[in-house]
Amino acid sequence: MPMLDIKNLTLEMESGDASIKALDKVNLSVSSGEIRALVGESGSGKSLIVSAICGALPSQWNLTADRMSWNGENLLSMSVQQRREVMRREIAVVFQNPQSSLDPSATLGEQLEESIPDEFVEGSWFWQRAQHRKKIAISTVHKVGIKYHKHYLSAYPHQIPADIGQKFMIAMALVSQPKLLIADDPTRGMEPTTKTQILKLFTRLNQTRSLSILFVSHDLLAIASMAHSMTVLYAGQTVEAGKMKHIKKRPLHPYTKALLDSAPSFRKDLPPKSHLPTLGGSIPTLQHLPIGCRLGPRCPRAQRACVQTPAMRKIHDHSYSCHYPLHMEKP
Amino acid sequence: MIQILIRYSTLLFLTLLVLAFMSFSLAYLFPGDPLENLTGLVPQNEMQREALTRQFKLDGPYLIQFFHYVENMLAGNWGYSFTSGLPLREEVGIALPATIELATYAMLMALFIGIPLGYYAGMRCYSTSDHVINSTSITTYSFPVFWFALLLILIFSLQLDSAPLSGRISLLYDIEPITGFIIVDILLSELANKPLALKDAFSHLALPTLAIGAITTASMIRITRRSVIDVKHRPYIAAAVSRGLSSWQIFFRHILRNALLPILPLMAIQITTLITNAMIVETLFSWPGIGNWLIQAIYQRDYPALRVGMMAVSTVVITLTILVDLFNRLIDPSREKYERATV
Ligand SMILES: Nc1ncnc2c1ncn2[C@@H]1O[C@H](COP(=O)(O)OP(=O)(O)O)[C@@H](O)[C@H]1O
Ligand code: SF4
Ligand SMILES: [Mg+2]
Repeated sequence: MPMLDIKNLTLEMESGDASIKALDKVNLSVSSGEIRALVGESGSGKSLIVSAICGALPSQWNLTADRMSWNGENLLSMSVQQRREVMRREIAVVFQNPQSSLDPSATLGEQLEESIPDEFVEGSWFWQRAQHRKKIAISTVHKVGIKYHKHYLSAYPHQIPADIGQKFMIAMALVSQPKLLIADDPTRGMEPTTKTQILKLFTRLNQTRSLSILFVSHDLLAIASMAHSMTVLYAGQTVEAGKMKHIKKRPLHPYTKALLDSAPSFRKDLPPKSHLPTLGGSIPTLQHLPIGCRLGPRCPRAQRACVQTPAMRKIHDHSYSCHYPLHMEKP
Repeated sequence: MIQILIRYSTLLFLTLLVLAFMSFSLAYLFPGDPLENLTGLVPQNEMQREALTRQFKLDGPYLIQFFHYVENMLAGNWGYSFTSGLPLREEVGIALPATIELATYAMLMALFIGIPLGYYAGMRCYSTSDHVINSTSITTYSFPVFWFALLLILIFSLQLDSAPLSGRISLLYDIEPITGFIIVDILLSELANKPLALKDAFSHLALPTLAIGAITTASMIRITRRSVIDVKHRPYIAAAVSRGLSSWQIFFRHILRNALLPILPLMAIQITTLITNAMIVETLFSWPGIGNWLIQAIYQRDYPALRVGMMAVSTVVITLTILVDLFNRLIDPSREKYERATV
């Protein structure tokens, strides 16, 4: 049974008098010990899913789901207290914009130390506890590859470079020793060496501590090597999900194929200097979503039937939603 | 740190210099004899006039005159009032503290009532209690201060007869002005019936303080509430929630300080309004403050008094504004990066 199990997650925003489905029947699950990639162009709603999972969406938006459970418990109906406890100990999040996720008026050390669950802190007197807290904080920042802890723990968020901020958010997420780490674009804008370092850290934590990771990114190359399974999102709809190796070998959805094709290193058979096949056009904005399959206007295989939203279909544990998937004859 | 202090002192010094220059030029701009406007002394004959001209270096170029003027101001020779013939320094020394006292109590009222209420409303935004607090504060804020003060006089002084109509303290008590703050002076005095005198002073203070304070409190509520709501919607609060911190932790560690930071500079802007309101209200209550004093000076065409009064009031306002800004600058760590932009 998956740890995090989301079925038909729909998010409606009111805009003027119309209501827009920013997320439309999204399915997503993360099993214990798994690294799941959530990919999609920017603007496809990845960050909205992350906010929905941790309950950080504005309350005026309407969030519904057939199922949204954490270890069998319904996240949407549990009490505020329970939900807070889950977020405190079991799920940790690295939001996509680390700099603005840090309180500008507190030092990084203060913010890291307050994320340490009280249970981890030893000592009966407050100075012993403070000392131990500090020790935990220092060892955590070392773990994510920040060397000058003296300098950075007493710095304010605006005084640090962006990649330290990103590492710091990861440290804050890891310090509570969560079961699931949700990382929203954690390597964006990082230098290749730093990026490799972070990806290695994730892989190691996954193997040694069996930490499950939901890795959100639009950078296919970064995740293809480490993720076990993948969910592809397009304009707020899940288009394909399954094991990484199956999808890589044989994508069923036209969008996934275009996505894979646009990353050259997946195509060993590509002759040098050949034209990269991509979809024309760009992802629609929320105000101009097409009806039915949202890929419709850009899809080379689209037919009349595509004005109806295709249902999710399954072949073993590989699911897709398309009327004319790639393993069927071209209509 | 030292750099910041130096920068702020330079700013203060230059502003005051410009002010001094404006007050100096008033002597020439006002109708009448610049010598009389500057000194407040009316020479009886030519010889006296010449002596005064030499004494104030009015025969030299303007720049020398100005430097001499600044020197005199610093030494406390501010000239004499046309009407009373008393040294202006003495008169301002009594009137200005009376105004500052009123403004201080009104500000304290705004701080101790306005900020907590603003936090409360902001944390409960869009609830019934928030709507009540918010609409009350908007209504109060929209009252013209003199109308509100007249209303208070009408209700409490004339109808209910529960507060005195005018003045600072009953004539029965003879209080030696030491600090210029009536409450402090009573406490310092050797009066036999201090509690009675205090009670009397408070009853005189109540209505003017309420009139000025209510409006300042209302704007403080609105500023605080807005600031709290802004901070509540910042991504770092969402991030703190997602880390499973309790509401108390989030309020005390993240909202309290961040919401307070934008309030302080806005408070500095309030100071001007506050002093202006105090000056208006004190004419209604015949409070012996600088506003009342200036109005009298205008009626009497007491030009030296106007010149000094303008200088004194603006010095107080500017010094306070710069001090609040400096304080804010020192406690807000994230303002380092805007260093050049602030001053
Ligand atoms: N606070 C918001 N208000 C209105 N629209 C939003 C808001 N946040 C995100 N959106 C919209 O939701 C869509 C998905 O955004 P997002 O989840 O950030 O995409 P991604 O993370 O995949 O790049 C975008 O079209 C974006 O414009
Ligand atoms: S449902 Fe139609 S439009 Fe959508 S991806 Fe499949 S073929 Fe293309
Ligand atoms: Mg995003």
